[in-house]
Amino acid sequence: MELRVIEKTDEELRLEIAGEDHTFMNVLKGVLLETENVLAATYDVNPEQSGGQTDPVLSIKTEGGADPLDVLEEAAGSLKTQTEAFRDAFNAAA
Amino acid sequence: MTTEFDVEFIERTDRNARFLVRGLTPAFANGIRRAMVADVPTLSIDTVRFVENSSVMFDEMIALRLGLIPLTTPLDDFELGDTVTVALDVEGPATAYSGDIVTSEPGVEVADKNIPIIKLNSGQRLEFEADAVLDRGKDHAKHQGGVAVGYRHLQKVEVDGDLGEFDDEEPQILRGVIETEDGELIASSEFDHDLTKLYPGKELSVTDVPGAFVFHVETDGSFSVEELVDRAAETIGDRADELKNAVAV
Repeated sequence: MELRVIEKTDEELRLEIAGEDHTFMNVLKGVLLETENVLAATYDVNPEQSGGQTDPVLSIKTEGGADPLDVLEEAAGSLKTQTEAFRDAFNAAA
Repeated sequence: MTTEFDVEFIERTDRNARFLVRGLTPAFANGIRRAMVADVPTLSIDTVRFVENSSVMFDEMIALRLGLIPLTTPLDDFELGDTVTVALDVEGPATAYSGDIVTSEPGVEVADKNIPIIKLNSGQRLEFEADAVLDRGKDHAKHQGGVAVGYRHLQKVEVDGDLGEFDDEEPQILRGVIETEDGELIASSEFDHDLTKLYPGKELSVTDVPGAFVFHVETDGSFSVEELVDRAAETIGDRADELKNAVAV
């Protein structure tokens, strides 16, 4: 997973995540939208003028002075916790 | 944010299962489904070295058929790209079956022994050595461990009252799993997918239960359903970890 920052301001971030597809990006987007101080989060695998599919570009907009990178880190951590919780629940039932 | 998941099995065999998960978001459910199809690797024959092929089919056609034979895959012992050597030697008149394939690893064998590869006439012979490689469904469909993976919402059935005395009873066809008012889970196949057989003469309403997904998972025999689901969740968790570390740097 290689990251390339395309644009970064105090409350906005555009980030290319190499080698990922909808499988991970949509889950990540879902978690980001439930994270605090996130105003908007989305991703695009086919940005305008790109002429076809590219690596997904993640866009985050925050509010309340939160740094988008910190928010992303928090969301990734929360996603990890969720997958572990799911695995525990599943293995307990299995 | 902590999420409580609740998992309950409705049907379960080695290769086929139906289970209910509560507390999932649609995005998470779909992520797990996609990971089961495309991201959990399986072994599959990839490179074939023919020693003799005097059958009626070209080497390439046989190699394609070989790739589609599921091999049991002990995921703990292999990493992506690892190979296992397999071999076959059958002389006609006979049919070469997948069960004739011998492997070099004890944990790796053909999942189904009764898949015909090719019918050989007298004098015809098929002998080859091949490398099975561990790869993901994303790269080639022959590496898909989950062959029929999907989910539906859990549906709650409520009895609103009795049907009017002169009303016609029409069949209410429904597929998936329902939850009755007592909290009982019933697969629709048990009442022939027709709700009126379960509740004759009743007025019913059916609603989706938010956050409750009934997964139906079928594997090709490479591993059990439990392993597939667990590994799929693991790949998503691994990527979240990777992202977290990459962002922190």
